[in-house]
Amino acid sequence: MRSAFRWRFLAVPLLVVPVGWLLFTGLGRDPRLIPSPLIGQPLPTISGATLDGDTFSSASLLGKPALINVWASWCTPCITEHPLLLDAARQHAGELQLVGVVYVDTTEAARAFLARYGDGSWPDVLDPSGRIALDLGVTGPPETFFVDALGVVRYRHVGPLTSEVLAEQLAAIGIGP
Amino acid sequence: MIPTIGHVAVVVGLATTLFAAAAFGLGGRRGDRSLVLLGRRAMYAALALALIASAAMVTSLLTHDFSVRYVVRNNAITTPPFYSFISLWAALEGSILFWTLLATGWAALVLHRFRDRAPALMPWVGLTLAMGAAFFFAVMTWPGDPFLRISPVAVEGSGPNALLQNHPFMGLHPPLLYLGYTGLAVPFAFGVAALITRRTDEEWLGIVRRWTLVPWIFLTAGIVAGAWWSYGVLGWGGYWAWDPVENAALLPWLTATAFIHSSMVAERRGTLRVWSHLLVVLTFWLTLFGTFVTRSGVVASVHSFTASGIGAWFLGALLVTLLAGVTLIVWRAPQLADRRAAGQPVSRESAFLFNNVLFLVISLIVLLGTLYPLAVEAVSGEKVSLGAPWFNRVGAPTFVALLFLMGVGPALPWGGASWRTLRERFALSVLAALGSVGVAWLIGLRAVAPLAAIGFAAFVLTVMGEEVVRGARSRARSRSEPQPAAAWRLVTHNRRRYGGYLVHAGICVMAVAIAVSATLGTDVTATLRPGEGLTLGAYRLRHDRLVVEPLADDPRVLETRAELTLSGPQSGPVVTALRDYPSSTTAIATPSVRSSLGEDLYVTLIGYDPASGSVTLRVFINPLVGWIWLGGGIVALGAVFAIWPERRRRVAVTAAAAA
Amino acid sequence: MRRLLVPVAALGLVILAAVIAGQLLRPAEPSSAAEQAKQLAAELRCPDCQALSVAESRTDAAAAIRREIAAQLAAGRSASQIRDHFVARYGPWILLQPADPLIWLLPAAALLAGLGAFGWWLRGGRTAGSRPAELPAPVDEVERRRVRDELEALDG
Repeated sequence: MRSAFRWRFLAVPLLVVPVGWLLFTGLGRDPRLIPSPLIGQPLPTISGATLDGDTFSSASLLGKPALINVWASWCTPCITEHPLLLDAARQHAGELQLVGVVYVDTTEAARAFLARYGDGSWPDVLDPSGRIALDLGVTGPPETFFVDALGVVRYRHVGPLTSEVLAEQLAAIGIGP
Repeated sequence: MIPTIGHVAVVVGLATTLFAAAAFGLGGRRGDRSLVLLGRRAMYAALALALIASAAMVTSLLTHDFSVRYVVRNNAITTPPFYSFISLWAALEGSILFWTLLATGWAALVLHRFRDRAPALMPWVGLTLAMGAAFFFAVMTWPGDPFLRISPVAVEGSGPNALLQNHPFMGLHPPLLYLGYTGLAVPFAFGVAALITRRTDEEWLGIVRRWTLVPWIFLTAGIVAGAWWSYGVLGWGGYWAWDPVENAALLPWLTATAFIHSSMVAERRGTLRVWSHLLVVLTFWLTLFGTFVTRSGVVASVHSFTASGIGAWFLGALLVTLLAGVTLIVWRAPQLADRRAAGQPVSRESAFLFNNVLFLVISLIVLLGTLYPLAVEAVSGEKVSLGAPWFNRVGAPTFVALLFLMGVGPALPWGGASWRTLRERFALSVLAALGSVGVAWLIGLRAVAPLAAIGFAAFVLTVMGEEVVRGARSRARSRSEPQPAAAWRLVTHNRRRYGGYLVHAGICVMAVAIAVSATLGTDVTATLRPGEGLTLGAYRLRHDRLVVEPLADDPRVLETRAELTLSGPQSGPVVTALRDYPSSTTAIATPSVRSSLGEDLYVTLIGYDPASGSVTLRVFINPLVGWIWLGGGIVALGAVFAIWPERRRRVAVTAAAAA
Repeated sequence: MRRLLVPVAALGLVILAAVIAGQLLRPAEPSSAAEQAKQLAAELRCPDCQALSVAESRTDAAAAIRREIAAQLAAGRSASQIRDHFVARYGPWILLQPADPLIWLLPAAALLAGLGAFGWWLRGGRTAGSRPAELPAPVDEVERRRVRDELEALDG
């Protein structure tokens, strides 16, 4: 009887501990943060017409670190991060290449956006159907990919960039402050 | 001023509930009834304080008091009063306040109703309920202060969550669901009290069964209203997406339903007592789990509130409840051991037990599915999903089996049945099932799920119909009453049983409607320029014009409207829109739903081009969807019928006693 | 003859249940390319919404994926190739039903455990061998309950 008494109670920790552990591990995480399988992989080819009427191909990026920014004129957070991109382009001119991907948007609206918030004069590839974004595994603008000089994706940022993330990740692809 | 009153009410509420808990605990230990009385009065005071705090919040919302952070984040000057009012429960802190109001309300109601009854149990019931309320007051005092002030005072707020201010059902669905959730604390409290006092006899079961049914009705109505809301707002043509938060509402419903059935067996046969206790604890735990899931940001969901420090508090409460509940059951397990004999495989109790097994298996499957991504991430660090295709595939067979049991159970006699009885009781219903499947097949229905649902629903309905007719006939004969009167008296004198039948009938209606709508719907997506049209089934829609203008009652909201003309059945103008809220990056759909008995025509605007005035529409024909809501209504009606007090009999018995 | 009827009927029921369950568990064979595209879309998670599939969602990303599925099917790629294509871009997160045998084994285990418990209960549980079975007299029990129900109804 006494031993039955003791063993019975083993059921309590056996149930509570795993449940507690499982839920606890979930606490600190952001469920909206999905790691990109592209990290450590070569950047998929991005090519198409640009806002300026040229054509662009990501093959031309090789040799220098690059920043691929997926944006749209209808995307409000894109407005907040836009000055950071302009800053980075100015500050690291010559060593960093910026490329915009205009996600599901019209040419006029995108042009109006740049006219209003500042045109950094880097190529903006048009992606009216979301086809290019699909290859990048984009969930929605803004998203930014940090690509090193070898053409390998090092980091993906979902949501508007912050100056901390930008400085840290630029350093990781070999762009000093 | 008003927010300060609210904040003070919350802090005093914490002190009051802690005091109540202490009074109940001491009163219970010492058997001191005056302490218990004190505890009860403290809980009434806690309800008053929660009411004051909620009123303060509602006032702050209605007066757009932008010194309060919650108001800034969930309100704007242009927000209409109705949506200002329901913002009380539309976001994290406010919903906790509302929750506290309901929890203290239930506690006060129960303590008042039982002020002269079950004196041995009540101190512990009070203790459990007071601790629960204290937890919510504590959350509002520390991590989730709804009255947190900001400085400087904001000029304008960001407005309510767009998704939650687009449909009046937001005013109905959360309160119903919360009433169900919070009410399930009552059976838990009685279960704990029974275990502590070793009074695990039929007394607590009798009390708990009734007090489970009431929150169960609210939970059922809340879930159905939620599905309806999802159908009317999310604009994808469906009503149930196996979203983690939907699952969190379904889980306690499943275990509470299992308990309602197992308690009948426990009452009649003195068996399944450990089991019933487990179900009560599990049900309450799952309501907490649901809150945790919604409020901790552990899983991503349409409904989940932003992640916050509150998650850790809820996790603590979750684990303490689990620890306490399981320890109590394990501790008292020897006293709970069943006195009973081996079961007959073909008997009512075995049907009930099998029903319980299935309910628990479904609960386990839903819980596993909800936690699976979390578990995989904890083990391997990889993000995975588990969604609707899996849930439908695994859930459908179990639900069909439950449908079958629903017909078998009530018709089987307790203790076991002979072949003769079986043949007498089931011949007609099996024929009805086969007949209706045959008819459905001849009409051209080939999908398995609806065929199974139709067959089993016909089976269940015939079994129940036969029984009512048989009972009414014998009553009419023995008391020489006219048949309709006999039938009415039969059902009103046994409300529990026939209310249950009505619930089952509602479930049958829902099952057929769900199976049919999930498999037999059609849809089309098309881009139309003004003047162009599309055809789906018997319907023809013509796109007249695209209108973009601010909403009349909230000018910050920009509405893009496609004005269409429908010809065919239910012809007339149709308007479907997308609304751009300043607080949301994606536009919120306002689908147009044309309901008829047979099917819904569901039109959503998914894209537009202002330059050419062209629109992209997605149009669905959803068969029988209206019957899902109707079935839900029948279920609620049946449950209300079942718990409705039997006045006449009471009068008769009282008269007899007086004589 | 009579004695055989119950087991035969039971067996028939079990077979019927198994057939129905099997049919419900098995995904239907797609009849056309459009059907197959729809089925594939229903298995992929919409990237920019919660818990909805690509087939149901109205977002831009979902629309782009639907177009891509149709294009790839037209180019003759198989369903599993298309699934892999998206997993390579979005990660396994995009699959609403991951290729993990556990998601089938766990529910099966839950069902088996439930059936086991049911069988155990039918046998009379732990008390079967040790104590003689005693059934409470059904009539008394019912009567007693009815009296108690009446009394309870009295005090509401």
